[in-house]
Amino acid sequence: MDKRFFNFFNLSEDEAIALLDTPQSQISENDSRYIAASHLVNFPTDRSIQALMRAVQQTDPSLDNRIVRRKSVETLGRLQAMQAIPVIRGCLQDEDCYTVENAVWAIGEIGTQDPAILEEVAQLLDKPGQTYRVIIHTLTKLDYAPAIERIRRFMAATDLPTASAAITAICRFTGDYSQMDKVVAMLQNSNVLARRLSIQDLIDAQYYAAIPEIACCPVSLVFRLRGIRMLAESGISSGAITFAAIQPALEQSLRDHPKDLKLVHHYNSPPTLPVLIRELYETDFGRCYLATQTILEQYPDEAPAALFATYEEEARSDYGAHFHVVKLFGWLKHAPAYDLLLEALHNRQPQFQKSRAAAAIALAELGDPRAIPELTTCLTTPIWDLKYAALMALEKLGVTRVYEQVTEADDWLVRLKSQASLQLQF
Amino acid sequence: MKSVVTTVIAAADAAGRFPSTSDLESVQGSIQRAAARLEAAEKLASNLDNVAREAYDACIKKYPYLNNAGEANSTETFKAKCARDIKHYLRLIQYCLVVGGTGPLDEWGIAGQREVYRALGLPTAPYVEALSFARNRGCAPRDMSAQALTEYNALLDYAINSLS
Repeated sequence: MDKRFFNFFNLSEDEAIALLDTPQSQISENDSRYIAASHLVNFPTDRSIQALMRAVQQTDPSLDNRIVRRKSVETLGRLQAMQAIPVIRGCLQDEDCYTVENAVWAIGEIGTQDPAILEEVAQLLDKPGQTYRVIIHTLTKLDYAPAIERIRRFMAATDLPTASAAITAICRFTGDYSQMDKVVAMLQNSNVLARRLSIQDLIDAQYYAAIPEIACCPVSLVFRLRGIRMLAESGISSGAITFAAIQPALEQSLRDHPKDLKLVHHYNSPPTLPVLIRELYETDFGRCYLATQTILEQYPDEAPAALFATYEEEARSDYGAHFHVVKLFGWLKHAPAYDLLLEALHNRQPQFQKSRAAAAIALAELGDPRAIPELTTCLTTPIWDLKYAALMALEKLGVTRVYEQVTEADDWLVRLKSQASLQLQF
Repeated sequence: MKSVVTTVIAAADAAGRFPSTSDLESVQGSIQRAAARLEAAEKLASNLDNVAREAYDACIKKYPYLNNAGEANSTETFKAKCARDIKHYLRLIQYCLVVGGTGPLDEWGIAGQREVYRALGLPTAPYVEALSFARNRGCAPRDMSAQALTEYNALLDYAINSLS
Protein backbone atom coordinates (compact mmCIF):
# COMPACT_ATOMS: atom_id res chain seq x y z
CA MET A 1 0.00 0.00 0.00
CA ASP A 2 1.29 3.39 -1.03
CA LYS A 3 1.05 5.61 2.06
CA ARG A 4 2.42 8.81 0.56
CA PHE A 5 -0.79 10.69 1.14
CA PHE A 6 -1.78 9.31 4.53
CA ASN A 7 -0.09 11.85 6.72
CA PHE A 8 -1.63 14.90 5.17
CA PHE A 9 -2.83 16.93 8.06
CA ASN A 10 -0.17 17.32 10.75
CA LEU A 11 -2.67 16.51 13.49
CA SER A 12 -1.58 14.73 16.66
CA GLU A 13 -3.47 11.65 17.79
CA ASP A 14 -4.92 13.55 20.77
CA GLU A 15 -6.09 16.39 18.56
CA ALA A 16 -7.70 14.03 16.05
CA ILE A 17 -9.51 12.05 18.77
CA ALA A 18 -10.74 15.25 20.44
CA LEU A 19 -12.03 16.50 17.11
CA LEU A 20 -13.77 13.25 16.30
CA ASP A 21 -15.44 13.18 19.72
CA THR A 22 -16.79 16.70 19.38
CA PRO A 23 -20.51 16.60 18.60
CA GLN A 24 -21.14 17.61 14.99
CA SER A 25 -23.31 20.53 16.14
CA GLN A 26 -20.46 21.95 18.22
CA ILE A 27 -17.71 21.57 15.67
CA SER A 28 -15.92 24.83 14.97
CA GLU A 29 -16.07 26.27 11.49
CA ASN A 30 -12.33 25.78 11.30
CA ASP A 31 -12.33 22.08 12.05
CA SER A 32 -13.40 18.86 10.42
CA ARG A 33 -14.32 15.56 12.02
CA TYR A 34 -14.01 13.97 8.58
CA ILE A 35 -10.33 14.88 8.46
CA ALA A 36 -9.89 13.51 11.99
CA ALA A 37 -11.49 10.20 10.97
CA SER A 38 -9.16 10.00 7.95
CA HIS A 39 -6.09 10.97 9.92
CA LEU A 40 -6.44 8.37 12.66
CA VAL A 41 -5.26 5.78 10.14
CA ASN A 42 -1.79 6.85 11.26
CA PHE A 43 -2.39 5.71 14.85
CA PRO A 44 -3.02 1.98 15.20
CA THR A 45 -3.71 2.29 18.93
CA ASP A 46 -6.60 1.11 21.04
CA ARG A 47 -7.45 4.75 21.86
CA SER A 48 -7.84 5.64 18.20
CA ILE A 49 -9.84 2.52 17.46
CA GLN A 50 -12.19 3.23 20.37
CA ALA A 51 -12.66 6.81 19.15
CA LEU A 52 -13.44 5.60 15.63
CA MET A 53 -15.92 3.07 17.01
CA ARG A 54 -17.64 5.83 18.99
CA ALA A 55 -17.87 7.87 15.78
CA VAL A 56 -19.49 4.96 13.92
CA GLN A 57 -22.10 4.78 16.66
CA GLN A 58 -23.09 8.44 16.16
CA THR A 59 -26.02 7.94 13.83
CA ASP A 60 -27.18 11.50 13.18
CA PRO A 61 -28.30 11.28 9.52
CA SER A 62 -26.98 14.72 8.45
CA LEU A 63 -24.57 14.68 5.52
CA ASP A 64 -21.70 15.98 7.68
CA ASN A 65 -22.07 13.17 10.20
CA ARG A 66 -22.83 10.50 7.63
CA ILE A 67 -19.54 11.01 5.85
CA VAL A 68 -17.68 10.91 9.18
CA ARG A 69 -19.29 7.56 10.01
CA ARG A 70 -18.33 6.12 6.65
CA LYS A 71 -14.77 7.35 6.87
CA SER A 72 -14.48 5.96 10.40
CA VAL A 73 -15.61 2.55 9.15
CA GLU A 74 -13.03 2.72 6.37
CA THR A 75 -10.25 3.71 8.76
CA LEU A 76 -11.14 0.85 11.11
CA GLY A 77 -10.80 -1.45 8.11
CA ARG A 78 -7.39 -0.02 7.26
CA LEU A 79 -6.31 -0.48 10.87
CA GLN A 80 -7.59 -4.09 10.69
CA ALA A 81 -9.33 -3.52 14.00
CA MET A 82 -10.77 -6.91 14.85
CA GLN A 83 -12.48 -5.55 17.97
CA ALA A 84 -14.52 -3.22 15.73
CA ILE A 85 -16.20 -6.03 13.79
CA PRO A 86 -19.46 -5.96 15.84
CA VAL A 87 -19.78 -2.19 15.36
CA ILE A 88 -19.02 -2.43 11.65
CA ARG A 89 -21.44 -5.31 11.27
CA GLY A 90 -24.14 -2.99 12.60
CA CYS A 91 -23.62 -0.84 9.48
CA LEU A 92 -24.49 -3.66 7.07
CA GLN A 93 -28.18 -2.86 7.37
CA ASP A 94 -27.70 0.89 7.05
CA GLU A 95 -29.95 2.75 4.62
CA ASP A 96 -26.96 4.55 3.13
CA CYS A 97 -25.45 2.32 0.44
CA TYR A 98 -21.99 3.89 0.77
CA THR A 99 -21.92 3.16 4.50
CA VAL A 100 -22.83 -0.44 3.67
CA GLU A 101 -20.12 -0.53 1.00
CA ASN A 102 -17.47 0.72 3.43
CA ALA A 103 -18.62 -1.75 6.08
CA VAL A 104 -18.38 -4.66 3.63
CA TRP A 105 -14.96 -3.50 2.48
CA ALA A 106 -13.74 -3.05 6.07
CA ILE A 107 -14.89 -6.57 6.99
CA GLY A 108 -12.87 -7.82 4.02
CA GLU A 109 -9.79 -5.94 5.22
CA ILE A 110 -10.09 -7.10 8.81
CA GLY A 111 -11.06 -10.64 7.86
CA THR A 112 -13.50 -12.96 9.57
CA GLN A 113 -14.67 -16.53 9.16
CA ASP A 114 -17.83 -16.03 11.22
CA PRO A 115 -20.47 -17.64 8.95
CA ALA A 116 -23.26 -15.47 10.36
CA ILE A 117 -21.45 -12.28 9.38
CA LEU A 118 -20.48 -13.65 5.97
CA GLU A 119 -24.04 -14.74 5.28
CA GLU A 120 -25.27 -11.29 6.25
CA VAL A 121 -22.84 -9.83 3.72
CA ALA A 122 -23.95 -12.36 1.08
CA GLN A 123 -27.61 -11.45 1.60
CA LEU A 124 -26.80 -7.91 0.49
CA LEU A 125 -26.49 -9.37 -3.02
CA ASP A 126 -30.29 -9.64 -3.01
CA LYS A 127 -30.82 -6.10 -1.76
CA PRO A 128 -31.38 -3.42 -4.43
CA GLY A 129 -29.07 -0.44 -4.85
CA GLN A 130 -25.91 -1.89 -3.28
CA THR A 131 -22.34 -1.78 -4.56
CA TYR A 132 -22.33 -5.42 -5.59
CA ARG A 133 -18.79 -5.32 -6.87
CA VAL A 134 -17.38 -4.66 -3.40
CA ILE A 135 -19.68 -7.25 -1.83
CA ILE A 136 -18.46 -9.85 -4.34
CA HIS A 137 -14.83 -8.90 -3.67
CA THR A 138 -15.21 -9.34 0.07
CA LEU A 139 -17.08 -12.66 -0.15
CA THR A 140 -14.43 -14.00 -2.50
CA LYS A 141 -11.54 -12.71 -0.46
CA LEU A 142 -13.01 -14.38 2.65
CA ASP A 143 -13.71 -17.54 0.64
CA TYR A 144 -17.40 -17.75 1.44
CA ALA A 145 -18.38 -20.59 -0.90
CA PRO A 146 -22.11 -20.62 0.05
CA ALA A 147 -22.41 -17.36 -1.92
CA ILE A 148 -21.15 -18.85 -5.21
CA GLU A 149 -24.53 -19.31 -6.88
CA ARG A 150 -25.69 -15.85 -5.81
CA ILE A 151 -22.49 -14.34 -7.21
CA ARG A 152 -22.85 -16.31 -10.44
CA ARG A 153 -26.03 -14.38 -11.25
CA PHE A 154 -23.97 -11.20 -11.61
CA MET A 155 -21.73 -12.62 -14.35
CA ALA A 156 -24.08 -11.16 -16.95
CA ALA A 157 -24.73 -7.87 -15.11
CA THR A 158 -25.17 -4.87 -17.38
CA ASP A 159 -22.74 -2.95 -15.21
CA LEU A 160 -19.46 -4.27 -16.60
CA PRO A 161 -17.27 -3.85 -13.51
CA THR A 162 -19.86 -5.81 -11.51
CA ALA A 163 -19.89 -8.54 -14.15
CA SER A 164 -16.10 -8.53 -14.16
CA ALA A 165 -15.95 -8.97 -10.38
CA ALA A 166 -18.44 -11.86 -10.58
CA ILE A 167 -16.54 -13.64 -13.38
CA THR A 168 -13.34 -13.23 -11.40
CA ALA A 169 -14.98 -14.54 -8.24
CA ILE A 170 -16.28 -17.65 -9.98
CA CYS A 171 -12.85 -18.20 -11.47
CA ARG A 172 -11.26 -17.99 -8.03
CA PHE A 173 -13.82 -20.24 -6.39
CA THR A 174 -13.99 -22.91 -9.10
CA GLY A 175 -10.76 -22.58 -11.09
CA ASP A 176 -12.84 -22.05 -14.24
CA TYR A 177 -10.92 -19.53 -16.32
CA SER A 178 -13.16 -19.87 -19.38
CA GLN A 179 -14.84 -16.49 -18.93
CA MET A 180 -11.74 -14.50 -18.04
CA ASP A 181 -11.33 -13.31 -21.62
CA LYS A 182 -14.32 -11.06 -20.93
CA VAL A 183 -12.40 -9.41 -18.11
CA VAL A 184 -9.37 -9.03 -20.37
CA ALA A 185 -11.62 -7.43 -23.02
CA MET A 186 -12.60 -4.77 -20.49
CA LEU A 187 -9.04 -3.46 -20.67
CA GLN A 188 -10.21 -1.93 -23.95
CA ASN A 189 -13.50 -0.49 -22.69
CA SER A 190 -14.21 3.14 -23.53
CA ASN A 191 -14.89 3.90 -19.84
CA VAL A 192 -11.65 4.61 -18.00
CA LEU A 193 -12.96 3.28 -14.69
CA ALA A 194 -13.97 0.00 -16.33
CA ARG A 195 -10.41 -0.31 -17.67
CA ARG A 196 -8.83 0.44 -14.31
CA LEU A 197 -11.11 -1.93 -12.40
CA SER A 198 -10.57 -4.81 -14.78
CA ILE A 199 -6.87 -4.66 -13.89
CA GLN A 200 -7.84 -5.16 -10.25
CA ASP A 201 -9.88 -8.23 -11.17
CA LEU A 202 -7.04 -9.69 -13.21
CA ILE A 203 -4.78 -9.23 -10.17
CA ASP A 204 -7.32 -10.93 -7.93
CA ALA A 205 -7.69 -13.86 -10.37
CA GLN A 206 -3.89 -14.20 -10.61
CA TYR A 207 -4.47 -14.28 -14.35
CA TYR A 208 -0.85 -14.09 -15.45
CA ALA A 209 -1.69 -14.60 -19.12
CA ALA A 210 -3.14 -11.09 -19.14
CA ILE A 211 0.12 -9.33 -18.22
CA PRO A 212 1.00 -8.38 -21.83
CA GLU A 213 -2.55 -7.05 -22.30
CA ILE A 214 -2.35 -5.03 -19.10
CA ALA A 215 0.86 -3.48 -20.44
CA CYS A 216 -1.12 -2.25 -23.49
CA CYS A 217 -4.11 -0.91 -21.56
CA PRO A 218 -4.56 2.85 -22.04
CA VAL A 219 -4.75 3.92 -18.41
CA SER A 220 -2.18 5.72 -16.30
CA LEU A 221 0.98 3.70 -15.93
CA VAL A 222 0.35 3.76 -12.19
CA PHE A 223 -2.47 1.25 -12.71
CA ARG A 224 -0.52 -0.84 -15.22
CA LEU A 225 2.57 -1.02 -13.04
CA ARG A 226 0.52 -1.85 -9.97
CA GLY A 227 -1.16 -4.69 -11.85
CA ILE A 228 2.01 -6.12 -13.33
CA ARG A 229 3.90 -5.79 -10.07
CA MET A 230 1.22 -7.51 -7.98
CA LEU A 231 0.80 -10.30 -10.52
CA ALA A 232 4.56 -10.73 -10.72
CA GLU A 233 4.80 -10.87 -6.96
CA SER A 234 2.30 -13.70 -6.60
CA GLY A 235 3.30 -15.49 -9.81
CA ILE A 236 7.05 -15.49 -9.28
CA SER A 237 6.81 -16.50 -5.62
CA SER A 238 4.54 -19.42 -6.50
CA GLY A 239 6.72 -20.43 -9.46
CA ALA A 240 3.89 -19.94 -11.95
CA ILE A 241 5.84 -17.37 -13.98
CA THR A 242 9.38 -16.06 -14.22
CA PHE A 243 10.81 -12.57 -14.13
CA ALA A 244 12.03 -13.07 -17.71
CA ALA A 245 8.44 -13.62 -18.78
CA ILE A 246 7.15 -10.37 -17.30
CA GLN A 247 10.22 -8.18 -17.82
CA PRO A 248 9.22 -6.95 -21.32
CA ALA A 249 5.73 -5.94 -20.18
CA LEU A 250 7.13 -4.27 -17.08
CA GLU A 251 9.74 -2.27 -18.97
CA GLN A 252 7.31 -1.40 -21.73
CA SER A 253 5.05 0.11 -19.08
CA LEU A 254 7.88 1.97 -17.39
CA ARG A 255 8.96 3.34 -20.76
CA ASP A 256 5.34 4.20 -21.50
CA HIS A 257 5.37 5.16 -25.18
CA PRO A 258 1.85 5.62 -26.61
CA LYS A 259 2.66 3.47 -29.65
CA ASP A 260 2.93 0.49 -27.28
CA LEU A 261 -0.63 1.02 -26.05
CA LYS A 262 -3.85 -0.13 -27.64
CA LEU A 263 -5.64 3.20 -27.66
CA VAL A 264 -9.42 3.19 -27.41
CA HIS A 265 -10.26 6.77 -28.42
CA HIS A 266 -10.32 8.28 -31.90
CA TYR A 267 -10.71 11.76 -33.34
CA ASN A 268 -13.58 12.46 -35.70
CA SER A 269 -11.52 15.10 -37.46
CA PRO A 270 -7.82 16.03 -37.22
CA PRO A 271 -7.40 18.17 -34.09
CA THR A 272 -5.38 21.36 -33.93
CA LEU A 273 -2.29 21.57 -31.73
CA PRO A 274 -4.03 23.72 -29.06
CA VAL A 275 -6.80 21.12 -28.81
CA LEU A 276 -4.22 18.36 -28.41
CA ILE A 277 -2.34 20.30 -25.73
CA ARG A 278 -5.63 20.72 -23.85
CA GLU A 279 -6.18 16.98 -24.01
CA LEU A 280 -3.03 16.47 -21.94
CA TYR A 281 -4.99 17.77 -18.94
CA GLU A 282 -7.68 15.08 -19.18
CA THR A 283 -8.21 12.75 -16.24
CA ASP A 284 -8.69 9.81 -18.63
CA PHE A 285 -5.08 9.08 -19.55
CA GLY A 286 -6.26 7.12 -22.59
CA ARG A 287 -7.14 10.45 -24.14
CA CYS A 288 -3.83 11.98 -23.10
CA TYR A 289 -1.89 9.15 -24.77
CA LEU A 290 -3.88 9.59 -27.99
CA ALA A 291 -3.07 13.30 -27.91
CA THR A 292 0.61 12.53 -27.26
CA GLN A 293 0.75 10.11 -30.17
CA THR A 294 -1.02 12.58 -32.47
CA ILE A 295 1.31 15.41 -31.45
CA LEU A 296 4.31 13.21 -32.23
CA GLU A 297 2.93 12.27 -35.63
CA GLN A 298 1.50 15.58 -36.77
CA TYR A 299 3.16 18.44 -34.87
CA PRO A 300 6.72 17.39 -34.00
CA ASP A 301 8.18 20.77 -34.98
CA GLU A 302 5.56 23.08 -33.48
CA ALA A 303 5.02 21.08 -30.31
CA PRO A 304 8.04 22.15 -28.18
CA ALA A 305 7.07 25.83 -28.06
CA ALA A 306 3.49 24.92 -27.23
CA LEU A 307 4.66 22.53 -24.51
CA PHE A 308 6.92 25.12 -22.88
CA ALA A 309 4.05 27.61 -22.97
CA THR A 310 1.52 25.28 -21.39
CA TYR A 311 4.09 24.17 -18.82
CA GLU A 312 4.66 27.74 -17.66
CA GLU A 313 1.00 28.56 -17.69
CA GLU A 314 -0.56 25.54 -16.03
CA ALA A 315 1.10 22.16 -16.43
CA ARG A 316 3.83 22.85 -13.86
CA SER A 317 1.15 22.66 -11.17
CA ASP A 318 -1.10 20.02 -12.78
CA TYR A 319 0.40 16.61 -12.03
CA GLY A 320 -1.29 14.94 -15.00
CA ALA A 321 -0.28 17.38 -17.71
CA HIS A 322 3.14 17.74 -16.03
CA PHE A 323 3.74 14.05 -16.61
CA HIS A 324 2.69 14.15 -20.27
CA VAL A 325 4.76 17.26 -21.01
CA VAL A 326 7.80 15.51 -19.53
CA LYS A 327 7.12 12.39 -21.62
CA LEU A 328 6.63 14.40 -24.81
CA PHE A 329 9.89 16.30 -24.46
CA GLY A 330 11.62 12.95 -24.23
CA TRP A 331 9.94 11.43 -27.28
CA LEU A 332 10.63 14.64 -29.21
CA LYS A 333 14.29 14.43 -28.11
CA HIS A 334 14.10 18.15 -27.48
CA ALA A 335 17.48 19.12 -26.03
CA PRO A 336 16.41 22.60 -24.75
CA ALA A 337 14.03 20.84 -22.34
CA TYR A 338 17.00 19.43 -20.40
CA ASP A 339 16.63 21.77 -17.40
CA LEU A 340 12.88 21.22 -17.21
CA LEU A 341 13.40 17.46 -17.21
CA LEU A 342 16.11 17.73 -14.58
CA GLU A 343 13.78 19.68 -12.32
CA ALA A 344 11.11 17.00 -12.83
CA LEU A 345 13.62 14.25 -12.03
CA HIS A 346 14.33 15.78 -8.64
CA ASN A 347 10.81 17.02 -7.86
CA ARG A 348 10.05 15.47 -4.48
CA GLN A 349 6.47 16.64 -4.11
CA PRO A 350 4.42 13.46 -3.75
CA GLN A 351 1.84 14.10 -6.44
CA PHE A 352 4.58 14.59 -9.04
CA GLN A 353 6.19 11.25 -8.23
CA LYS A 354 5.35 9.59 -11.52
CA SER A 355 6.94 12.49 -13.39
CA ARG A 356 10.29 11.58 -11.81
CA ALA A 357 10.56 8.17 -13.47
CA ALA A 358 9.15 9.75 -16.63
CA ALA A 359 11.91 12.35 -16.53
CA ALA A 360 14.55 9.61 -16.15
CA ILE A 361 13.28 7.93 -19.31
CA ALA A 362 13.01 11.27 -21.12
CA LEU A 363 16.55 12.32 -20.19
CA ALA A 364 17.84 9.09 -21.70
CA GLU A 365 15.97 9.90 -24.90
CA LEU A 366 17.78 13.25 -25.05
CA GLY A 367 21.08 11.35 -24.92
CA ASP A 368 22.83 14.16 -23.02
CA PRO A 369 25.66 12.71 -20.88
CA ARG A 370 25.24 15.52 -18.34
CA ALA A 371 22.23 13.52 -17.13
CA ILE A 372 24.40 10.58 -16.01
CA PRO A 373 25.42 11.90 -12.56
CA GLU A 374 21.89 13.21 -12.00
CA LEU A 375 20.38 9.82 -12.79
CA THR A 376 23.01 8.13 -10.64
CA THR A 377 21.82 10.10 -7.61
CA CYS A 378 18.39 8.50 -8.14
CA LEU A 379 19.87 5.07 -7.45
CA THR A 380 19.65 5.80 -3.74
CA THR A 381 15.91 6.38 -3.86
CA PRO A 382 13.53 4.00 -2.08
CA ILE A 383 10.96 4.59 -4.85
CA TRP A 384 11.20 1.39 -6.85
CA ASP A 385 9.87 2.62 -10.20
CA LEU A 386 12.15 5.65 -10.15
CA LYS A 387 15.16 3.48 -9.42
CA TYR A 388 14.18 0.95 -12.08
CA ALA A 389 13.63 3.74 -14.64
CA ALA A 390 16.96 5.31 -13.69
CA LEU A 391 18.68 1.96 -14.32
CA MET A 392 17.00 1.70 -17.72
CA ALA A 393 18.00 5.29 -18.52
CA LEU A 394 21.62 4.82 -17.47
CA GLU A 395 21.81 1.65 -19.52
CA LYS A 396 20.48 3.55 -22.54
CA LEU A 397 23.08 6.25 -21.98
CA GLY A 398 25.76 3.57 -22.20
CA VAL A 399 26.75 3.46 -18.55
CA THR A 400 28.30 0.13 -17.65
CA ARG A 401 28.64 -1.43 -14.19
CA VAL A 402 25.50 0.39 -13.09
CA TYR A 403 24.15 -2.73 -11.44
CA GLU A 404 26.96 -2.85 -8.92
CA GLN A 405 25.00 -0.26 -6.99
CA VAL A 406 22.04 -2.56 -6.54
CA THR A 407 22.13 -4.27 -3.15
CA GLU A 408 20.14 -6.79 -1.18
CA ALA A 409 18.33 -3.87 0.46
CA ASP A 410 16.78 -2.87 -2.85
CA ASP A 411 13.26 -3.53 -4.03
CA TRP A 412 12.83 -7.12 -5.26
CA LEU A 413 11.96 -6.10 -8.82
CA VAL A 414 15.04 -3.89 -9.00
CA ARG A 415 17.14 -6.83 -7.76
CA LEU A 416 15.64 -9.18 -10.33
CA LYS A 417 16.32 -6.62 -13.05
CA SER A 418 19.91 -6.36 -11.85
CA GLN A 419 20.38 -10.14 -11.78
CA ALA A 420 18.91 -10.49 -15.27
CA SER A 421 21.18 -7.77 -16.67
CA LEU A 422 24.31 -9.12 -15.00
CA GLN A 423 23.60 -12.55 -16.46
CA LEU A 424 23.43 -10.98 -19.90
CA GLN A 425 26.75 -9.23 -19.39
CA PHE A 426 28.60 -12.43 -18.55
CA MET B 1 -26.31 9.23 -20.10
CA LYS B 2 -28.73 8.89 -17.20
CA SER B 3 -31.20 11.76 -16.70
CA VAL B 4 -34.76 11.97 -15.44
CA VAL B 5 -35.99 11.52 -19.01
CA THR B 6 -33.81 8.53 -19.86
CA THR B 7 -34.59 6.89 -16.50
CA VAL B 8 -38.33 7.21 -17.03
CA ILE B 9 -38.18 5.89 -20.57
CA ALA B 10 -35.86 3.02 -19.63
CA ALA B 11 -38.17 1.97 -16.78
CA ALA B 12 -41.25 2.15 -19.01
CA ASP B 13 -39.55 0.23 -21.78
CA ALA B 14 -38.28 -2.43 -19.39
CA ALA B 15 -41.87 -3.01 -18.25
CA GLY B 16 -43.24 -2.78 -21.80
CA ARG B 17 -45.56 0.10 -20.89
CA PHE B 18 -46.15 3.77 -21.62
CA PRO B 19 -44.76 6.30 -19.11
CA SER B 20 -47.23 6.66 -16.23
CA THR B 21 -48.75 9.88 -14.95
CA SER B 22 -46.21 10.04 -12.15
CA ASP B 23 -43.43 9.41 -14.68
CA LEU B 24 -44.66 12.35 -16.72
CA GLU B 25 -44.91 14.49 -13.60
CA SER B 26 -41.28 13.83 -12.76
CA VAL B 27 -40.26 14.70 -16.34
CA GLN B 28 -42.38 17.85 -16.12
CA GLY B 29 -40.68 18.76 -12.83
CA SER B 30 -37.28 18.28 -14.39
CA ILE B 31 -38.23 20.47 -17.37
CA GLN B 32 -39.55 23.17 -15.07
CA ARG B 33 -36.22 23.26 -13.27
CA ALA B 34 -34.25 23.29 -16.53
CA ALA B 35 -33.95 27.09 -16.72
CA ALA B 36 -32.49 27.23 -13.20
CA ARG B 37 -30.08 24.38 -13.98
CA LEU B 38 -28.90 25.99 -17.19
CA GLU B 39 -28.41 29.30 -15.43
CA ALA B 40 -26.24 27.56 -12.84
CA ALA B 41 -24.39 25.67 -15.58
CA GLU B 42 -23.66 28.88 -17.44
CA LYS B 43 -22.45 30.74 -14.34
CA LEU B 44 -20.28 27.83 -13.28
CA ALA B 45 -18.77 27.41 -16.75
CA SER B 46 -17.85 31.06 -17.01
CA ASN B 47 -16.25 31.02 -13.59
CA LEU B 48 -14.93 27.48 -13.23
CA ASP B 49 -11.28 28.35 -12.63
CA ASN B 50 -12.13 30.91 -9.98
CA VAL B 51 -14.58 28.66 -8.16
CA ALA B 52 -12.04 25.83 -8.09
CA ARG B 53 -9.17 28.03 -6.99
CA GLU B 54 -11.24 29.75 -4.35
CA ALA B 55 -12.37 26.41 -2.99
CA TYR B 56 -8.90 25.03 -2.45
CA ASP B 57 -7.36 28.33 -1.37
CA ALA B 58 -10.04 28.70 1.26
CA CYS B 59 -9.58 25.11 2.28
CA ILE B 60 -5.88 25.74 2.97
CA LYS B 61 -6.61 28.92 4.86
CA LYS B 62 -9.40 27.40 6.85
CA TYR B 63 -7.49 24.32 7.92
CA PRO B 64 -4.02 25.29 9.04
CA TYR B 65 -3.22 21.63 9.55
CA LEU B 66 -3.81 20.95 5.86
CA ASN B 67 -0.11 21.33 5.46
CA ASN B 68 1.41 18.59 3.41
CA ALA B 69 3.80 16.54 5.45
CA GLY B 70 5.45 15.21 2.33
CA GLU B 71 9.06 15.84 1.52
CA ALA B 72 8.44 19.27 0.08
CA ASN B 73 6.45 20.30 3.16
CA SER B 74 4.72 22.94 1.17
CA THR B 75 1.08 23.87 0.96
CA GLU B 76 1.61 24.45 -2.75
CA THR B 77 1.78 20.69 -3.07
CA PHE B 78 -1.65 20.11 -1.71
CA LYS B 79 -3.13 23.00 -3.65
CA ALA B 80 -1.88 21.70 -6.95
CA LYS B 81 -3.16 18.20 -6.28
CA CYS B 82 -6.51 19.42 -5.13
CA ALA B 83 -7.01 22.03 -7.85
CA ARG B 84 -6.87 19.56 -10.70
CA ASP B 85 -9.33 17.17 -9.13
CA ILE B 86 -11.73 19.82 -7.84
CA LYS B 87 -11.92 21.21 -11.34
CA HIS B 88 -12.71 17.74 -12.64
CA TYR B 89 -15.58 17.33 -10.17
CA LEU B 90 -16.94 20.80 -10.89
CA ARG B 91 -16.92 19.98 -14.59
CA LEU B 92 -18.91 16.81 -13.94
CA ILE B 93 -21.34 18.84 -11.81
CA GLN B 94 -21.71 21.25 -14.69
CA TYR B 95 -22.50 18.36 -17.03
CA CYS B 96 -25.12 17.13 -14.55
CA LEU B 97 -26.76 20.55 -14.54
CA VAL B 98 -27.00 20.39 -18.33
CA VAL B 99 -28.23 16.78 -18.42
CA GLY B 100 -30.73 17.24 -15.62
CA GLY B 101 -29.59 14.15 -13.76
CA THR B 102 -26.64 12.74 -11.92
CA GLY B 103 -25.51 10.52 -14.81
CA PRO B 104 -22.18 12.25 -15.54
CA LEU B 105 -21.11 12.16 -11.88
CA ASP B 106 -22.37 8.59 -11.45
CA GLU B 107 -20.64 7.26 -14.54
CA TRP B 108 -17.43 9.27 -14.60
CA GLY B 109 -16.88 10.34 -11.01
CA ILE B 110 -18.37 7.81 -8.64
CA ALA B 111 -18.84 4.29 -10.00
CA GLY B 112 -15.52 2.64 -9.36
CA GLN B 113 -13.81 5.83 -8.27
CA ARG B 114 -14.42 5.02 -4.62
CA GLU B 115 -12.69 1.68 -5.17
CA VAL B 116 -9.75 3.37 -6.87
CA TYR B 117 -9.33 5.84 -4.00
CA ARG B 118 -9.35 3.00 -1.49
CA ALA B 119 -7.03 0.75 -3.49
CA LEU B 120 -4.41 3.44 -4.02
CA GLY B 121 -4.77 4.99 -0.57
CA LEU B 122 -5.66 8.39 -2.04
CA PRO B 123 -7.09 10.97 0.32
CA THR B 124 -10.70 12.06 -0.19
CA ALA B 125 -10.71 14.56 2.68
CA PRO B 126 -9.28 17.49 0.71
CA TYR B 127 -11.92 17.09 -2.02
CA VAL B 128 -14.69 16.86 0.53
CA GLU B 129 -13.43 19.94 2.32
CA ALA B 130 -12.99 21.99 -0.83
CA LEU B 131 -16.38 21.01 -2.28
CA SER B 132 -18.01 21.73 1.09
CA PHE B 133 -16.50 25.18 0.96
CA ALA B 134 -17.87 25.72 -2.55
CA ARG B 135 -21.30 24.67 -1.32
CA ASN B 136 -21.25 27.02 1.67
CA ARG B 137 -19.82 29.93 -0.25
CA GLY B 138 -22.48 30.20 -2.99
CA CYS B 139 -24.76 33.16 -2.48
CA ALA B 140 -28.01 34.22 -4.17
CA PRO B 141 -28.61 36.55 -5.87
CA ARG B 142 -24.95 37.62 -5.92
CA ASP B 143 -23.72 34.52 -7.78
CA MET B 144 -26.93 33.23 -9.36
CA SER B 145 -30.65 33.08 -8.69
CA ALA B 146 -31.92 31.23 -5.62
CA GLN B 147 -33.36 28.41 -7.74
CA ALA B 148 -30.14 28.01 -9.70
CA LEU B 149 -28.19 27.91 -6.46
CA THR B 150 -30.48 25.19 -5.12
CA GLU B 151 -29.77 23.05 -8.18
CA TYR B 152 -26.03 23.67 -7.95
CA ASN B 153 -25.83 22.99 -4.21
CA ALA B 154 -27.81 19.77 -4.55
CA LEU B 155 -25.20 18.45 -6.96
CA LEU B 156 -22.32 19.60 -4.74
CA ASP B 157 -23.94 17.68 -1.88
CA TYR B 158 -24.34 14.67 -4.15
CA ALA B 159 -20.64 14.76 -5.02
CA ILE B 160 -19.54 15.26 -1.41
CA ASN B 161 -21.75 12.39 -0.30
CA SER B 162 -20.47 10.03 -2.95
CA LEU B 163 -16.79 10.88 -2.53
CA SER B 164 -16.59 10.26 1.16
